[in-house]
Amino acid sequence: MNDRIAKKTGLLLALACLAVGSLRAEDVWSLTKTVFPIPSTTGNEDLLAGKIRGLLPPGLAVEEDGLGTVAVRIGGPGAPTLLLAALDGYGHMVSGITPDGYLTIDRPVAPPHARFDAYLLGQPVIVSTVRGPVQGVVSQPAMHLLTQERRKALVENFSLENAFVDIGVRSEREARDKGVEILDPVTFWPVLTELSGDKWSGPALGLKAVAAVLVAVAESLAKEPPPGETVIAWAAQTKAAARGRGNRPALGALRAKTKWDPGRTVVVDVIAAGKDGTAPVPGKGPVLILAKDDPTALRQAFERAAAGAGIACQFLAAADSPLALPFAGPQSEVLTLALPVQFLNTPSEVVDLKDIQALQDLLERFFRTGGGQ
Amino acid sequence: MTKRLSALILAVLASGAFAAGQPKAWDILREILFVPGVSGHEGPVSDYIQHKLPSGFKVQRDGMHNVWFTAGSGKPHILFVAHSDELGWVVDKITPEGRLRVKRSGGLLPETAEARPVLIHTARGPVAGIVAPRPGYDERRQQADSPEAPFAAENFDIFLGVSTEAEAQALGVTEGDPITPKKVLVDFAPGLMAGRAIDDRAGCAALLDAALRLKSDAFRGKTVTFAWDVQEETGLIGAAELAKTLKPDYVFAIDTFVSTDSPLESQRFGHLPVGQGAVLRAVDSSNVTPRTEISKVMAIAKKRGIPVQVGNSRGGNDGSVFLAGGAVDIPLSWPGSYAHSLIEKIDRRDLEALSDLILAIISDWK
Repeated sequence: MNDRIAKKTGLLLALACLAVGSLRAEDVWSLTKTVFPIPSTTGNEDLLAGKIRGLLPPGLAVEEDGLGTVAVRIGGPGAPTLLLAALDGYGHMVSGITPDGYLTIDRPVAPPHARFDAYLLGQPVIVSTVRGPVQGVVSQPAMHLLTQERRKALVENFSLENAFVDIGVRSEREARDKGVEILDPVTFWPVLTELSGDKWSGPALGLKAVAAVLVAVAESLAKEPPPGETVIAWAAQTKAAARGRGNRPALGALRAKTKWDPGRTVVVDVIAAGKDGTAPVPGKGPVLILAKDDPTALRQAFERAAAGAGIACQFLAAADSPLALPFAGPQSEVLTLALPVQFLNTPSEVVDLKDIQALQDLLERFFRTGGGQ
Repeated sequence: MTKRLSALILAVLASGAFAAGQPKAWDILREILFVPGVSGHEGPVSDYIQHKLPSGFKVQRDGMHNVWFTAGSGKPHILFVAHSDELGWVVDKITPEGRLRVKRSGGLLPETAEARPVLIHTARGPVAGIVAPRPGYDERRQQADSPEAPFAAENFDIFLGVSTEAEAQALGVTEGDPITPKKVLVDFAPGLMAGRAIDDRAGCAALLDAALRLKSDAFRGKTVTFAWDVQEETGLIGAAELAKTLKPDYVFAIDTFVSTDSPLESQRFGHLPVGQGAVLRAVDSSNVTPRTEISKVMAIAKKRGIPVQVGNSRGGNDGSVFLAGGAVDIPLSWPGSYAHSLIEKIDRRDLEALSDLILAIISDWK
């Protein structure tokens, strides 16, 4: 067990070294940089969960749900208010190793859109093994050897059928000697690009920024607990849908509902932004998702918190997301607050630093002013 | 075992006779990869090469940024040439929304740049951007049977994080600025890596390394020219300029061998594995090397104990523009998987064998 923990610690350190920038967890932007390089795909959330545990204030007891979700409880007692975000993002995993040492890949869950797999073509990737990160590339045909037919088959219609990860070995045995095993996550190289206009870009950056916001909120609330009880949870397997009829809630959220049975739930999610000049717009503040026409008490509490602190918010009428679905019922209130993300679910998700900060500030203000009650 | 050991000792002694010092090509390559030099904008990479060259040679540079030097005198005149330019784009115009429309400069698969970071090399330094994903990338297509517009340099744009033309200009971005993908080096293992612009920075590095290890007695009685030329990727333009004044008897173009050592290629031809030695590119899209010259090279390689593979593949080479002037073109390479990509793959042993082969040819060519 200790050996496994030591190996994972080594992997975390090595992955962190691949990222660009400061690693001091002193503010939400630094926290975002800290968690950014840690891979976390559905079913492979343990590295990010471990990192978050390490970043949380030492006095907080971490609760788990057996699926990979981690949570902390602050204040109490009473029916808790749950602050919930996803721990997992979309990604790929090793599904096989060919006799000549190439890795085949698959997805643990359905992709967020039809072009998702196509972004892998010809890209550097990281295979996260128990022995540490293994660097690889997804093969692509050489330009000089492309005929029209091959271009159509291998480039324009690229699919996981043609996705082979080259890790620089010549046999299955050499691949296994590097520590590669079936189910290891395969993720894009964690390159953080600092753009102009206070924007950052990188793969799965929206998810990581939201996870960092919740860590920052937990740190703040732990120092000076607000009235009532708050559970802050990073839920695993939220991209997997619970089976059954009708609307399909996110599995990780459904289990969180069962475990903590909150009276009020604030879901923090990501939302596609900046599309053709329509709302929501990056840099204009967090987005309150209005799933119902009625101004619920929870929504009013957020609007008061935002107005009181002078935090700009955007509003969008939309149905409850799979993350919020389990909490929408007559006995409980749920509100979704979302971070605007441009180019969502591409290898270059763009977030505005002002939105990250505003999201943290709004959540803290909400809890501090008794919004959780 | 004893025979093998003797052969190894002989090879080591033989290599010492024509070269000085340990090869540095790998380290040079890992540096020069990151120096920008999109075709037509090779100034920085030519500066790098010129700065690295030994001071004893009279280095020349023309207005296009071709860099070369000649050593020795007499016949034959041997020219080694590697191209210093790389694939990329240039800023065509800045839109009112502050995005960049581009023109391509050489052939990269545009699909591999979609939603990827790039660097715009402005006069004030690099500015980061993202190639915007195609509009509606995350939406179900309305008419699945109608053809989708191709994702090409002519119709994609680059997002800088700003929203007006004036803001983009304030960053120092202007029309004509070169753009490269933001590069990362993938280290599969010590001595095996992948990255953008291995083509042809590996050739530049091998040639630089050979220049740094060149001994004066190696070129006694013959003329040797080392050249780093420009604008190969857009039509062998720099080489054509050099060919106006340089009239070699033999030209050894140092450039990628497009290897089919890949899970996606037919291995009917071009299957020279990465890691098994330098390459003599016998037949490509621009040249057919005479069999007699192939035999000469292979004899030298064998004598020196340098691993060399011979094969045919596709793509042109700078040496071909010297054919009309009377030269024989003998392209030398390393086996490169995934040519013209963000993940061009190379093995250190192949690169060092190539550098050794260059020096051996200088010493032994008749």
